[in-house]
Amino acid sequence: MAYPYTHPKEVRLLSKYFGDPEARTLKGWEERGGYQALRKALGTPRDEIVNTVKASGLRGRGGAGFPTGMKWGFMPKKVPGTPHYLICNADESEPGTFKDRELMRWTPHALIEGCVIGAYAINAEHAYIYIRGEFFEAAQVMARAIEEAYAAGYLGKDIQGSGVDIDLTLHLGAGAYICGEETGLLNSLEGRRGEPRVKPPYPAIAGAFGKPTAVNNVESLIAAAHIVLNGADWYKQWGTEKSVGTKLFCVSGHVKRPGNYEVPLGFNFKEFIYDVCGGTPDGRPIKAVIPGGSSVPILTADELDIGMDYEAMAAAGTMLGCGSVIVMDDTTNIVKQVRRMVDFYAHESCGQCTPCREGTAWAAKILRRMEQGRGVADDIDTLLAISENMSGRTICVLSDAAAAPITSSIEKFRADYEALMALEPGLVGAGLTGAAHGSIR
Amino acid sequence: MSAGHTGADSPPTSWPAARQNPGFAGDTGEFAQLSEAEVRGSAYVGERPRDGGHASVAGTLPYQVGTNNGEAPIFVGEYEERLQKILSRYPDRQNALLPALHMAHEIRGYLSAATMDEVAARLELSPAYVRGVASFYTMYNLGPVGKYLIQVCTNISCNLCGGDAVFEAFLKHTGTEAGETSANGLWTVMEVECLGACGFPTAVQINERYYENIRPEDVPAVLERLT
Amino acid sequence: MAEETRAAVETVHITIDGMELDVPKGTRILDAAAMAGSDVPHYCYHPGLTAPAQCRMCLVEIEKVPKLQPACVATVADGNVIHTQSAKALEARKGVLEFYLVNHPLDCPVCDQSGECKLQDYTSAEGRAIGRSLEPKRVLGRDDFGGDVTFYADRCVMCTRCVRFMREVAQDERLTVVQRGHRAVIDTFFDEGLDGNIWADNIVDICPVGALVSKDFLHKARAWDLDRTPSICPNCTQGCNVRLETRDNQVQRIKPRPNPEVNSHWMCDYGRLNYEWINRGARIEAPLVRGADGTLQAVSWSEALTKLAAALQSSGGDSRAVVSPFMANEDIGLLRRVMDSTGGGGGVYRCQTGEEVVLPGFPTLALRTDRAANVHGAELFGFARAGGADGLGGLEAAAGHTGALWVLGDELGDAPEGFGSAARVFVYLGHFLSPAARNAHFVLPATTFAEMEGTFTNVQKRVQRFWPALQAPGMSRPAWQILGVLLAGIGEAAPVATAADAFASLGGVRPEFAAIAWGDLGQAGVPLGSFAEAGD
Repeated sequence: MAYPYTHPKEVRLLSKYFGDPEARTLKGWEERGGYQALRKALGTPRDEIVNTVKASGLRGRGGAGFPTGMKWGFMPKKVPGTPHYLICNADESEPGTFKDRELMRWTPHALIEGCVIGAYAINAEHAYIYIRGEFFEAAQVMARAIEEAYAAGYLGKDIQGSGVDIDLTLHLGAGAYICGEETGLLNSLEGRRGEPRVKPPYPAIAGAFGKPTAVNNVESLIAAAHIVLNGADWYKQWGTEKSVGTKLFCVSGHVKRPGNYEVPLGFNFKEFIYDVCGGTPDGRPIKAVIPGGSSVPILTADELDIGMDYEAMAAAGTMLGCGSVIVMDDTTNIVKQVRRMVDFYAHESCGQCTPCREGTAWAAKILRRMEQGRGVADDIDTLLAISENMSGRTICVLSDAAAAPITSSIEKFRADYEALMALEPGLVGAGLTGAAHGSIR
Repeated sequence: MSAGHTGADSPPTSWPAARQNPGFAGDTGEFAQLSEAEVRGSAYVGERPRDGGHASVAGTLPYQVGTNNGEAPIFVGEYEERLQKILSRYPDRQNALLPALHMAHEIRGYLSAATMDEVAARLELSPAYVRGVASFYTMYNLGPVGKYLIQVCTNISCNLCGGDAVFEAFLKHTGTEAGETSANGLWTVMEVECLGACGFPTAVQINERYYENIRPEDVPAVLERLT
Repeated sequence: MAEETRAAVETVHITIDGMELDVPKGTRILDAAAMAGSDVPHYCYHPGLTAPAQCRMCLVEIEKVPKLQPACVATVADGNVIHTQSAKALEARKGVLEFYLVNHPLDCPVCDQSGECKLQDYTSAEGRAIGRSLEPKRVLGRDDFGGDVTFYADRCVMCTRCVRFMREVAQDERLTVVQRGHRAVIDTFFDEGLDGNIWADNIVDICPVGALVSKDFLHKARAWDLDRTPSICPNCTQGCNVRLETRDNQVQRIKPRPNPEVNSHWMCDYGRLNYEWINRGARIEAPLVRGADGTLQAVSWSEALTKLAAALQSSGGDSRAVVSPFMANEDIGLLRRVMDSTGGGGGVYRCQTGEEVVLPGFPTLALRTDRAANVHGAELFGFARAGGADGLGGLEAAAGHTGALWVLGDELGDAPEGFGSAARVFVYLGHFLSPAARNAHFVLPATTFAEMEGTFTNVQKRVQRFWPALQAPGMSRPAWQILGVLLAGIGEAAPVATAADAFASLGGVRPEFAAIAWGDLGQAGVPLGSFAEAGD
C-alpha cells in the first residue's frame, strides 16, 4: 500500500517503510535489514558510540535542536549502584506535528533499536518510552513490537549474547502537552503532575527518579541508530555544515499534499512548499507559513526563500523547531488562528508560573474579543506587553512559545488586527472592573 | 485582503484525490467494508490480554471500554496481576500512578472520588495527591461520559481545513451541547487539542480510535457505523 | 574551656546592589541580598519549605547571565555582580505583579490580610498603578477547608506554600492543586478537609495574601491596629516562640515566631487558638488582707506586705504550697526562696495532660502531653506533680495544712470547702478570687505571663523570655516582684526591682540558672546546662 504522498526529492532514510505493513513485524524488520545497528552497537565500546553520534552532528529532532551526542556526553561516569535512564520522548503534541506517530506506527522496531543503542551508550539498563495517551494505536503497535523483541532476545538480559542488559518499558501519558517538555515528562513518569522542574539540576545529573537521565526524541533515536550502523561521515553527506542529515517535515494546512516528507536539512523552503508539497490546493496565494510548529514565529509568503535548517530559520527571525510546516492561504483569518493557538497554550499551561498561567489566558481573552470585533485601540499594545512579560521569565518556555505567534502576527499582519477593530470600536461589554471604564475610547 | 473579511471556515474546494492515511484501522471516511476487528485494530495487534501481557507493556491498556461502571472492582484478579507487573517496572509505588489511573478509568469509565480514594489506598498515596494528579491530565474523565466520547481536534492545522465545521456537525448529529452527554447516554462531543494527525484533517478521536480526513458530510456515516 | 574544632566555611566574594560581600558558598541570592539589606520580593519561597521557584516574583539580574534568575534557588557564584533593583529586574517584577492582579479581586476593604499583605506591599513598591486588563475576572468563591481555615479562592496567588507545608512539614497531604493552567485552584480531597490535623493553621500564617484566613480571627481586627509582643505560648511545655497580637488590651490572636531550636516557623492549633483565657476579666485588683472582723479588706501594698512579713516571722514550722505551672521561673523560684527562708517545706503543682502530637517534618516540635508552659520550672524548683490528667485533685496535703500555706497562681477551682482554713498563714497569690481563695489571710493580685516580663523553662530545659503584651489590671504586680519585696522585708535579700534581678536570684536556688546571664537570653532563649561544662 503506498503511503499517501512521496516525492522523488525526498531522501527517505527513516521514512523508507512508511506504508509498508510488513515492516512492523520483527520478521519483516529483520528482512529489511533491521537490528544490524543494534548488534553493531553492542559490540562497540560505549564511548565510541557517543563520539560517533557527536561527530555526525545529529541534533535533537524534538524541537530544541540540541546536539544529541553532546547530550549523551553530559552523562556522568557510571557509579555502581546508581542507575542511568534513557527516556524516549514520544509525547508528540506540538500542533502541526505528526512524525513520531508515523515512525512508531510503521517502524516500531526502529525505535526499539534506537532506545537500546541510546541506553547502551549512556550506561542505562532501563529505558522508558513515554508515549502520549491519545496514541492508543501507535502504543499497541509498539507494545506488540516490544513483546516480539523480548521474545527474540533483543531486549532484556544478555541481549544477543552481548552481556548487556537493557529493559524497555512503555509508559502511557494522559493528555498534557507540557509533558513533552523534558522535565515535565520526568515528573509525569514519576507519577506526579506534569509540571516542569527548575534547572539546575539538569536531567543528566538528576533526572528520572533523581538519577542521571537522557531524554531524546523518537526521530533522534532512530536517526542515531542509522548513524551507528553507517557511520558519522555517511550522515554528513546530507544537510548543511551545522544542520546535518535529513529530517521529517510534517506538512499540514492549505497544501495539496499534506503529510510527512523527509528531506535533507537545508532544502529550500519555497521549493519544498510549492514543488514537493504541491502548493496550495486551489492555487491560491500563500498568506503565511509556520515553519516549525505553532511555537515559532510566523513567516509571510515573501520570506520563504530560505534553507530549512536551524541557522537559516534563526536568521529569518523564526526557528526550525520540530519542522512542522503549516501553510495558510489568503482565505485565512489570521486573528482567528492566532487566537486558537493561544487558546491551546492557555489550556495546556501547567499553571506553576504566574506569567504563563495568567498571561496566556489573558491574551486568549483579548484575542477572542478582537476576533468577535470588540477590540479596543489599546489591545494590540497590551498583547505586545503581555508577550514581552511572558518571555524569558518562566521555568519552561511554554509562555515564550505562546508569545511567538502573537508578536510575529502583529508585526507582519497588523492590518488584519486593525481591520477587526474597525468593525465595532468602543464598548467592550459587560463585566468590566472600575479601572477599565476610564480608559475606553 | 479586505477589511472585515473573517476568512473561510470550509476547507479548500479541491481536496487531494487520495485522502487516505492507511493506518492499520483504515482510518478513512469510507469504512463500511471494514470488519470490527479491522476497525478496532485487533486484526493486526490482536486482543490484548487483561493481565497486561509482558510486563514491559503492561501499562498500556487494551480498550477504553466506556462502561461507566462505578462499582466494578479494580485491583483484583487479572487487573491486580497487571498492576503487579507495572509496579515491577518502576522504583517507587508512586511512579505507577498514571498507569493505575488508566486502569481504573478503563474499568469504571471515569474517576469518581471513591475511585481516586481506592487508587490512593492501593498505592499508599494521599487521596488529595491523587486528585491533584488525576485532574491535571485531560484524558481522565472526572465524571461519567457517553458510551462514545467524540473528541474533535480544532487546533490550527485541522482548523484551517474546517475543523470547527466538523465539530458543529458532530454536535448537530448527536443532538448534544459541547461537553454534555446525550440523553440516550451514547454520545459526548468535545473539542480537543492537536491529536498528532495534522496531515489528515480533520482528526477525530472516538474512544481509543482515530478517525481521520473527516469532513462535515462524513459525520452521519461515522455515527451510524458506531451504532 | 573545652576545645572546639570549627570547620572552615568556604566563602565566595560577590557584589550585590553595589555592596561587596563574602558569603558562604551555596547561599541563595535571596538570603545574600537580605544580608546586604535588600529585601527581594517573593511568594513561593519560604525558609521552612522546599523552593519551587514558580511565583517568578524574585527575579534578579546577574551580570553576564542572559536570563533573569530566581533569587530563591539561584546560589551565589564567586565574582557574581548582582542587581536586585536594576531596571530590567524591576520591569520584570512589575510585569509579574500585573499578571497577579489580572484576576485578583480588589477585596482589600473586606480582606483580613490588608495591612500585612505581600501583594499590597509589593504592588505599592514595584507594581503598576493601573492594570490593563479589561476582561471579566475569574470567580471561584469561598470554600470551607475545615478546622479553623477558610479559603477565599479568588485571592489565591497559587504560590503553593500551603500544599507544600501539608506535604513536607505536617506530612499529611490534605491539600493539592486541582486542574492546571488558569483553571488551577487549591483544594482538599473533596469534603475531606483539614479536620483532625492540629497543624493546619500554619498555612494561614504562610499564605502571603488573604486567601487562607482564620475563622477565629475573621473580621476581628485590622492588622495595623494590632500591637505585637514577643512571648512564649503558655499552653504546653513545648514553649513555642510566639507573638501576642493585641488591641484594646486584649489578645486578638497568637502567631508563631521563628526559632530554629524550638518550633522552626510553626505552632499547633491548640496553642494558637487557646488565648481567650488570657483575656478573662473579673481580676483581683487590689491586695486583700483579712481583718480582725474576719473579712477581706483592700489595703495598700506596703500594708499588705508588712503584715505578711510579720505574720511569717511570728509563726514557725514548715510551709506547703500549690503552684501553677503557668507561672514564671521567677515567680516559682522566688516562692521557693521564701519558703526556704521560713522553715522550708514542699509543694505540688497540677497540670492537665493530653495526647502528644509530633510535627513529623520538624520532630523537635510537638504538642506536648503537659498542657502548661512551665511544668519544668515548677519541677526544678522542687514542686511535685499531684492530681489527675484533668489537672484537678491532689490538694489533700495542702487543704488541711496547719503551717504556712502558699498558693501561687492556682485558681483552686476544685478545692474542697474549708480549704486552707486550718493554716496559720494562708497566702493566695493569684488572679481570680475563687471561693477557696476567700479563705486566705492574704490575697495578693499577681500578673499573668502576658502582663509582665519573665521566663519559662520548656520541655527541652530551655529558658525563654516573654514580654508584657497587656497592661496589668488594677494594682496587680508580678509575683516575683511581690515575693522579692517580701524576701527583703523578712531580711533575706536585697529588694528585687526588675525581672533581671529576679532571674539573677534564681541561681541561688538552682545553680544551672547561675550560668546564664539575663542578657544572654534574648529572643531565642538559652538551654539550661549549656554553660555548665564550659564553666569549669
